[in-house]
Formats: sequence, structure tokens, C-alpha cells
Amino acid sequence: MKIKITRNKIIAFAAIIALLAAAFWYGGNAPGLQGWNVSSDSEDGGDAAVVSENAGLTDEEETEKHKQEKNDDSDDSINNENEEKSDKADTTAEEENGAETDSPEKRGIETRPGGAEAGLSADEKVNLAKEISDAEGSSPGMVKGSKEYSQSEGMSINEETGKDKYLTDPVPEGKPLPVEPQDIEISDTEYKCTLSVRCDTILDNIDWLDPEKAELVPEDGVIFPSTEVTFYEGESVLNVLQREMKKAKIHMEFENTPMYNSAYIEGINNLYEFDCGELSGWMYKVNGWFPNYGCSRYQLKDGDTVEWVFTCDLGVDVDGYYSSTGQ
Amino acid sequence: MKDAFSGYHPLVNFLYFAFIFLFSMVFMHPICLGVSLISSFIYSIYLRGKKAAKFNFAFLLPMLLITALVNPAFNHEGATILTYFHTGNPLTFESMIYGVAAATMLASVVCWFSCYNEIMTSDKFVYLFGRIIPAMSLILSMSLRFVPRLKHQIKVASDAQRCIGRDVSNGSILSRARHGITILSIVITWALENAIETADSMKSRGYGLPGRTAFSIYRFDARDKNAITAILILGAYVLLGGIAGGLKWRYFPTIKGRMGEFYTISLYLAYVALCLVPVIVDRKEEQQWKATQLKI
Repeated sequence: MKIKITRNKIIAFAAIIALLAAAFWYGGNAPGLQGWNVSSDSEDGGDAAVVSENAGLTDEEETEKHKQEKNDDSDDSINNENEEKSDKADTTAEEENGAETDSPEKRGIETRPGGAEAGLSADEKVNLAKEISDAEGSSPGMVKGSKEYSQSEGMSINEETGKDKYLTDPVPEGKPLPVEPQDIEISDTEYKCTLSVRCDTILDNIDWLDPEKAELVPEDGVIFPSTEVTFYEGESVLNVLQREMKKAKIHMEFENTPMYNSAYIEGINNLYEFDCGELSGWMYKVNGWFPNYGCSRYQLKDGDTVEWVFTCDLGVDVDGYYSSTGQ
Repeated sequence: MKDAFSGYHPLVNFLYFAFIFLFSMVFMHPICLGVSLISSFIYSIYLRGKKAAKFNFAFLLPMLLITALVNPAFNHEGATILTYFHTGNPLTFESMIYGVAAATMLASVVCWFSCYNEIMTSDKFVYLFGRIIPAMSLILSMSLRFVPRLKHQIKVASDAQRCIGRDVSNGSILSRARHGITILSIVITWALENAIETADSMKSRGYGLPGRTAFSIYRFDARDKNAITAILILGAYVLLGGIAGGLKWRYFPTIKGRMGEFYTISLYLAYVALCLVPVIVDRKEEQQWKATQLKI
């Protein structure tokens, strides 16, 4: 069958292509300039000019100052890096700086990483993570894992990938190795540990938060105050969290991920991952260290301190960001 | 009894269903969902009688219950914890209510589509869109009609096979299966051939060629004007109210929304009126018919 090409068909075809291109550009997947960047940038500029005159907001300002200082420290490195980066990286970096310096007070939910809707693909998040790591590197205290140490302690590491069979990187020297929950026997011996759950980083980024969830954030950011709790020998961080949240009648949802053989905490107190931007979620640290494996694979010892904290930007704000590419 | 609403201009019918589908799929407000479900049940039973009642209560209601039960098994969000699953995740009141709401939406949309099929026949659809998008509207009307026609053809084929003792109700399990497959093969052959025949026949009649007119028996009367004005006003009121946030409702983390305010109640009433436009039209027609009968 022959399809006749008429003028109307060509126009319709061009219109469809134009519409798809516009959608692609507006959706933010296109390299270079992105639709929502243009408008939000100009808005931010205007807001900044208006609001900076009436300096009434205190909380916001302080956090911003703090951020600006942090930014100044790393400014040199950012500038150097920026020149080498590709188009895309550049725009994102500008957006980041814009969010932190250009608009000192009011930031709408649109300015949070990923925008108001869940819009970032996995690739974009990885790129954003690279961005952060290029600018600042891993947070202090986040040490690269030692393969020799991990192997000598009995972790079997695949030579090709440099990870164990559950895709876990080697563990830093002196830190406990992950255990597999299915091999563990829990005894009756009672131990004590300290548990706390906090979300104070949300208070610093309250305008990034999903407005429906605002009522859930406690005024001081403490969901579960630091408390000494009992656990049984062999139990993991997950077991303790689960029991204590149940006791305290705090909502908690997790999900088991077979690929990592571990549980992932999706939300505590109805504050879920991504509720405060695409880079937000729950993280845990034991004795000040953020383990590089899931909470159901961390076996607790007597006297450990477990802290659950909410991050709004991949762990940078809680000093738990680990850059896999470099230090 | 032939219903009156299907005798209206296709534009009126289409506009009505466009609003109804949009609202039943978008509004998550529990009152709106309830209104949509109940009026879709009323209208489908009004249109198709016992058959619709059987379908609604024997299929849609159980489906509604199952989908409502499935949701809390996967969704654990919500502030009111009722109990815990053995996996360790909580069962929350909000997720149960949300499950009921989502299931209600699903059931009402399915039910509305059964009414749509009854009213918007393919000739009406082609009449409305044949000029603007000829190929698309033919494909749409053919594919929308495909399942009912195939069902009908299966019945024809299986009746014919039964006459020679080769129906799925004859013989052992194995031969029944073989007969079933034969019937399926007959029907699929028919469907393929029929599609080509339809396309050829439409082409030979010059379907979609510029300058060609199509015969239609639809006139836009005064009653159509009245109906379309009513639908447009009610639809626009509900739509604008929805956009303005008059039907705001959230399920997570706690159930909260606008319920008893005057404005919201006026939106419910408009929505009920919109949903029941065809039923009202039909009732009125019936009454008029009876009134004229009595006068004679």
C-alpha cells in the first residue's frame, strides 16, 4: 500500500515532532538549558532582591549563612572543577549554587533537588552524587574500605567487581563486617545499646518538604530521643529499631532487598524517602560511623550507639556522604 | 424500552462521558467516588437491566473488595497503626481506606465504560471524529467494538459447531479442548479477514477522502441545546471547583480534606446532577410519553 504524502501530513508530522521536542526539553532530560531552570532562576533573583531588604526570618538565614560559609571554603575547588565539566554538569552546578547563594531566604518546593515532582532518573542522581563528590569529596570520617582488612576478617570479595556477592564494598579498617541475617542465631543474653531517631535536617530545609508531611516533623527534630534500650545477642540494627518503634508506637516501614540481602528503611514516623527532595532518605550510624551496608546486616555489640538520621542531600548534611569515585 | 439519552446528538453524549470519565478518574474525594460508583450502577442497571445488575454485583463488587484488601498488604503508610504484619510492617487505617477508594474508582470507571459502550455506538464516534481524524477514528471504533463483536462471533461459531456435535460441551475433556481450539481458530480467522474486509470496504467507498460527505441522521435540536448547556454548566462548575481545590482530600499520612463546607457540598450536588443527567432525561421522556397516552 502506498501512503500519499500531503501537505497536511507533513505539517502534522512537524507539529508532533515539535510537541515531543518541547516535552523532552521541558521535562529536563535534554542536555544544556532546561525549561524549569530558566524560570526558577529568574524568580529566585527577584525574590532575593525583595526579601533581602526585610531581614526578618532568622532560622532560614542562619542555615543559609552556614551554607554560604561552607560554600566559601570549597569555592576554589568548585571553580576549578567547573571549567572542566561538561555542559550538563555545569548547569546543575549552577543550579546548586543558585539554590544556596542567590536566594538567601525563600526557596519554594520547586527548588529542591529534583523539583516538586519525582523527576530524577537513577542516572541523574548518580551524576548529582558525582557533582557533590567532585566539589567536596566524602564527608570527614568516611574512610575508604580496606580490601586487605576485609579479606583477612573473612569477607569474600569478587576480584572483578571489588565487592562481595551482595554488592557491598570492602569495610574500612577496624569496622565490623556485615553478617548475613539468615545465618545468625539470636540468644537470650541481654545487652544494652543507645538508640535515637532524628530528622533535624528537615528543619533546615523545611521548604523542600512535602507540605502534607509538615505536621509530622517535631519542633526539635527528635522523633525518638536518645534512649538506652535492651537487645539480645546477635540482633541487628533493624531488629532493635523495629522493636523500639513498635514499643513507642512510631510508624516505620522497611523493605527487604534480596539483591543486597538487607532491609531498607523507607520511612519512619511517616517521613519517607524522597519526602524532602529526591536526595532525601534515612541513614544510620553506629558509634559515629555510617556503615556501607544495610541495617539488617549490622550486628550490634554491647554498648553500641545507634543513630538514625534523615538526610536531604545524599548524606552531605549529616556528614555521612561517601564518594565512591574518590576522596 | 429504548432510552432517550442515546437519541440525543452524539456531541451531547460524548461530552457527558468525557466529563464523567475525567471526574471519576481524577477526583479522589470519597464523596465524589461514592457518587460516581452509585450513579454508574444506577445508570448501567437502567440501561441494561438484569444483565448489568448481575455483572455489577457478581463481578464488580467482589473485584472492589479484593482490590481494597490487596492495597494494605503493599502500602504501609499512614499514621494510625492498627496492627503489625508478620513481616514486621504495620497495617494502617489510612492504607485500608485508600485501598477502598482506589477500588471504588476502578469499579466505577469499568461500570461507566459499560454504559459508554451502550450509548456511544461506533457510528456516533465516527460521525464526531471521522472528519478530523479519519484513520484514527476508524481504528478506534473498530478496536472498541472488537471484544463485543468477537464475543458474538464466538457464540455464532460455537452454535454452528454444536449442531454437528463439536462444541465445547460435547465429548471427553480432551476432545472438548480440541473443539474449543477449533472454535478459537475459526473466530480468529474470521476476525483477521473481517478487519481486512472492513478496511477494503471503507477504502472503496472513499472514506476519509477530501470533499466527501457522510450521511448522518443527527440533528442538533433545541433539546440537545438544553442538554448540552446543562452538561457544560455542571461540568465546568465541578471542574473549576476541583481545580480551585474545593474537593481537596488527602489520604496520607492522616486522612484530611474538605467535607462539610457549603462550597464543597454545592460541588457534590452539581456532580450528582451531572452524573444523573441521562437518567433524568430518560425519566422525563417516559413521563411525557405516559402523559400523552392518558390524554387520548
